[in-house]
Amino acid sequence: MFESLQGLMNGFGIATTAQNLFYCLMGAIVGTLVGVLPGLGPIAGIALLIPATYGLNATSAIIMLAGIYYGAMYGGSTTSILLNVPGETASVITCIDGYQMAQKGRAGPALAMCAIGSFVAGTIGIFGLVFLAPPLAEAALAFGPPEYFSLMAFGFIVLSNVTGTSLIKSLMMAVVGLIIGTIGLDPVAGDARFAFDYAPLLGGIEFVAVAIGLFGIGEVLANVERPPEVLGQRVLVPRLRELFPTLQDLKRSIGAILRGTGIGFGVGLVPGPAPVIATYASYMTEKKVSKHPEEFGKGAIEGVAGPESANNSACQSAFIPLFVLGIPFAPPTAILLGALMIHGVTPGPMMIGQHPELFWGVIASMYIGNFVLLLLNLPFVPFFANILRIPKNILLPLVILFCITGMYTVNNSVFDIWMMLLFGALGFMMRKWAYEGAPLLLALVLGPKLEAAFRQSLMISHGNFGIFVNRPVSLVFLLGALIFLSAPLLKPVWRRAQGIRRKGG
Amino acid sequence: MKRDETTVGIVILIFGGVTTLLSLRMPIGTFRAAGTGLFPLLLGIILMILSGFFLLNLLLRKEKELEKKEAPVEAAPRSLKPVILFLGMMALAALFFNSLGYPLVAFLLMVALLKILGLKRWPVNIILSLATAAASYFLFVQWLKIPLPKGWLGI
Repeated sequence: MFESLQGLMNGFGIATTAQNLFYCLMGAIVGTLVGVLPGLGPIAGIALLIPATYGLNATSAIIMLAGIYYGAMYGGSTTSILLNVPGETASVITCIDGYQMAQKGRAGPALAMCAIGSFVAGTIGIFGLVFLAPPLAEAALAFGPPEYFSLMAFGFIVLSNVTGTSLIKSLMMAVVGLIIGTIGLDPVAGDARFAFDYAPLLGGIEFVAVAIGLFGIGEVLANVERPPEVLGQRVLVPRLRELFPTLQDLKRSIGAILRGTGIGFGVGLVPGPAPVIATYASYMTEKKVSKHPEEFGKGAIEGVAGPESANNSACQSAFIPLFVLGIPFAPPTAILLGALMIHGVTPGPMMIGQHPELFWGVIASMYIGNFVLLLLNLPFVPFFANILRIPKNILLPLVILFCITGMYTVNNSVFDIWMMLLFGALGFMMRKWAYEGAPLLLALVLGPKLEAAFRQSLMISHGNFGIFVNRPVSLVFLLGALIFLSAPLLKPVWRRAQGIRRKGG
Repeated sequence: MKRDETTVGIVILIFGGVTTLLSLRMPIGTFRAAGTGLFPLLLGIILMILSGFFLLNLLLRKEKELEKKEAPVEAAPRSLKPVILFLGMMALAALFFNSLGYPLVAFLLMVALLKILGLKRWPVNIILSLATAAASYFLFVQWLKIPLPKGWLGI
């Protein structure tokens, strides 16, 4: 406990240097923009900004990139409330009551409560991260290759289960991602795989190209296909003095904020698109515990404050598996893993000891970033909302130009642009046929780790697969995976059993 | 809808099959000492099993049930033309990225994309594209010092 506090204090020393404050601010601004702009989410946003961090040290780079991730959660709510268009998926639920509040002329308090809730949740989430990460890292030191393999398998299956409409479609995407991840040099023997004697393929498929393609270009193409009038609505921009919530608003929201924070933190620790699930879970909880459930859907402030707090604290706790185990459970943290590796840092249980300046510096910067975002989001809401007045037919070409330029700068390679286009077209088709991009991207990033863990485990056991079930921690993960795998099969049985019980009762 | 789903399932099945066949050409080794091809071979087989199961499931389900359960998110038929044109223009930009150079490619790409998205007035289009190309050139090349292809213009 004392060590953690001392680490955090040192982290504040690192995060408050002029350079790191600047990059924290940049991350917060870019994140808010990415959150506000429909068509560019945090995944593509982080991926696009990776080349801009090449000249920086790892700490400053991750401070900025992490800022984009949690900054997007703040920005996403603005478009949900003002336009009924979620800026990113974690703000979908905010549309329900947020937009209704805006329609009743209460956009100001809704936006303010989002920012306040996000700040409170972000802050509590960071404290959770500070006190939970070090002991978890210590426990994770006992993990060997079989535990890591089972944990990753568990992660893929849970992620596939909770994203999209079909488990089997998501699982297929995860396997496709793993196969794409094998392109290039074999990490153990160094032999070429699926490279067809073509030099650019030897280095493997650049994950940034896949991320920008699937989540940036794919989204833009989906927007291009949509009729142009979708974004042509009037933006209801509140004035600064209208932003202050009433005492009654605050009273009603405090419980929702705290519950949302708790739910978000818990959800962030397990695999899946944590901020999205957290918002749904929080909304359902608020509706259940509310004294006025009939107000939900008609502009209940709890329906805005709870989910917006939940997505922020989920964002913070999602850093725990990344930093402590080195295993991201969702695409934004997977992109951050890629960024860490580019900067020569391998996250895992040893990271806190090996790179304390990075670990504590980034955590302290999150605290500062949340404060910056609170300041940025309240007075500047009218400014960010005005960005939405830029017509879509100008915004989309700009995003494309930025994607192409950003992609080229990763390796100064036109081949990467081709790959990005290929995955952009794939991302567009996947959207049309309801296939999820998240399992593919996560599998691509984790593929080499999964393969290494698999081969090392079998080497240890002399080819005996029993190693995965003989070790208790590994067995628990595999059993968990099995439960999630069989959940869709068991659901109809469960429903039928409940139906019978109801009829009987 | 069902035909589309089936086609996608078959494409994934073929992808799994090709992966399996290509992996078999690599050293497989044993589970104790895995060769280069073992992991992709297993993945190819798993993908074939999953896509086979997916196709079988489609076959067994009635058409009506499928329409009801898996109504596509994008239900309304929308024009694919701008999407294909967008992709075509981006491909041309990639093709001429080195030879024409960044500023020129950025300008031409913006002109084309704005036109595809229905910006009809040419002077507005040209001014917007010029401004964007110039701004991005100054941001990336002059300010961030990123070496982008100079091409014909030599800047």
